[in-house]
Amino acid sequence: MSNAPHILVIDDEPQIQRAIRTILTEKGFKVTTASRGEEGLTLAATNEPDLIILDLGLPDMDGVEVCTRLREWSQCPIIILSVRDSERDKVAALDKGADDYLTKPFGIEELLARVRVGLRHSASRQGTQSKVIQAGSLMIDLAWHSVKRGDEDIKLTATEYKLLAYLAANHGRVLTHQSILTNVWDPADANHTEYLRVYMRQLRKKLEVDPERPQFIITEPGIGYRFIANE
Amino acid sequence: MRSSTFISNTSKYLLAFGFIALVTGFLFTLRDALDTTLVALLYLIPLGLITAYWGLGPGITSALATFLTFNYFFIKPYYNFAVHRPTDVVILVVFLIVAIVISQLVGRMQASLAAATAREREATQLYELSTALAGLQDGHTIAEILAKQIQDVSRGEAVELNITGGQPFVFRLPETSPLNRPPEWVVLIQVARGVLGEIRFWRAAPALTSSEKRLLQTFASQGALALERARLAQAESRARVLEESDRLKSVILSSVSHELRTPLSTIKAAASSLRSNDVHWDSAARPELIAAIDDEADHLNMLVGNLLDMSRIESGVLKPKREWNILPEIIGSVLARMKHLAEEHCIEVDVPESLPLMPVDYVQIEQVFTNLMSNSVKYAPEKSVIRVQAFVEGDTAHVIVSNQGPQVPQEHLERIFDKFFRLTDADRVTGTGLGLSICKGIIEAHGGRLWAENMHNGLAFNFTLPLVWEGISSPILPMDTETE
Repeated sequence: MSNAPHILVIDDEPQIQRAIRTILTEKGFKVTTASRGEEGLTLAATNEPDLIILDLGLPDMDGVEVCTRLREWSQCPIIILSVRDSERDKVAALDKGADDYLTKPFGIEELLARVRVGLRHSASRQGTQSKVIQAGSLMIDLAWHSVKRGDEDIKLTATEYKLLAYLAANHGRVLTHQSILTNVWDPADANHTEYLRVYMRQLRKKLEVDPERPQFIITEPGIGYRFIANE
Repeated sequence: MRSSTFISNTSKYLLAFGFIALVTGFLFTLRDALDTTLVALLYLIPLGLITAYWGLGPGITSALATFLTFNYFFIKPYYNFAVHRPTDVVILVVFLIVAIVISQLVGRMQASLAAATAREREATQLYELSTALAGLQDGHTIAEILAKQIQDVSRGEAVELNITGGQPFVFRLPETSPLNRPPEWVVLIQVARGVLGEIRFWRAAPALTSSEKRLLQTFASQGALALERARLAQAESRARVLEESDRLKSVILSSVSHELRTPLSTIKAAASSLRSNDVHWDSAARPELIAAIDDEADHLNMLVGNLLDMSRIESGVLKPKREWNILPEIIGSVLARMKHLAEEHCIEVDVPESLPLMPVDYVQIEQVFTNLMSNSVKYAPEKSVIRVQAFVEGDTAHVIVSNQGPQVPQEHLERIFDKFFRLTDADRVTGTGLGLSICKGIIEAHGGRLWAENMHNGLAFNFTLPLVWEGISSPILPMDTETE
């Protein structure tokens, strides 16, 4: 099992550590645990894990701080764990470079899905990004700038396409309002969430079967959006 | 009274003498036609008028002056002060006595009238002050009104209220920089428990009269009473809040322990029976027990979330993080999340596309819809319709979530939003009894209103949300319409 992906779990609660370790080991991952921020940073440097699961509430330092310090030298995907109602912390950590988040309590499918997406994106950063993304009957070709549902072409405006392309290229990952606005519009527009809301609604009307119950572009309340593609 | 002080004392005497001279001149032209006693009588008229208008001093002085002019011009021999006839001596003496007595009587009456007017004015000012101060709960407003009234009444150059104790502050009128000399008059704002501050008053001229000082002193004590009352009221409301939160805590504890134990019992029972090998690996009960654990864990999570929300609303830290949002998007994500809960019901959404962007906290409004929907799902019969409608009314949005569930007795329509209020037995329906009061807290924090009303076939929750935020009713967006 030497090729098994190595996951570092930084969480101070022994029960959570135990549960995540049991589940992930069972699924064939190699798991290391740390219960403090400093310890986590040291282990991240020495063990070079493939993915880090980081709790935001650590006894010795702020999880957002751990995230910032990790990002100074590591591109390793980071999934943050936190409780409900701390949207502000989650967004802060995501904007500081965390890749995704999980709200406690979480289901095991969610955890595994986030881990898979995290590992896939770290692989694609190393050069093997797929240019065609499929979601249901939807096909987005990032190389040809074309969007199709079945055989039917979907006409998008320039901004709508840019928005969809950014979401699709990061499929499975949560993208914060700020990161979408910065990448699709302009860093100066980072606070204009209303742009995002309006364009997202238009985009959903063109893409989704039922725009009132979207399947491809999922709203993450208070955080941002997530594009769900076929695995 | 203020106008009369403009006429200085000297000019009052000069006016009095002028008047006497005028009357003397007039009587002099008629001297031959008039009897001496008649002249004496006629002289009494100006004397009375002088005392009435210009006071006792000019009156008495005029009486003496008149006595001399009467003697000099009208009693033979003319043009000297000698008197020959004994009757003239009597006339002169009587005239002098009558003149002085009249002057004094009129003067005293005048003075007591002036005093009465002054007292009445003081009483009016005091009444105005106490009316203005009545019911005020805020120290700053009290200080402001007190300072304004003092300025209105005394026209000083500046007045400064230096309130100590509690949260000390200084209120100054006019609000420019303070005068760089010590105040002419300082009054302590004092109550039985001690000094609450002081009033500093600047007016170089005219110097404060003793009655003005007395009035300022009275104002200070009125202010002291008002400040003291405000402080007591604050202390009392703090005590009430503490008492209420204490009561709430004990209610929460008892409700929570019951509510938390129910799902915990299920989880414990299911988990322990799965562990004890009583349930066979291939038994049909196995997936059911596992599903029960999963569902009840979600339920527990929701309970804890509700408690957290409620404590936030109670402590007033629930500040909406407003952003321009699209209502149908919020409703859509609620419906997507509640898919499995609402399988037994028919959900209809009737929200026009033309609805403008709304300045709301996405997460909180989502919570409102979730709670209202889950309440409807809980009480409305299976296969019935739950409808979500929204429309614009002036500069507010009106949202209705209606169901075909049982009606609520008219007298309980308000109370269903109270914490822990339940129409049915707690055992029949699960929940914290907090869902609706959380909704109310959130809607009110947004500046809207939430209420319930009975429909002919069910119950409708109504709420309003303002569409205007920071003076803007809807942002203008840069749109592109061309397709690639």
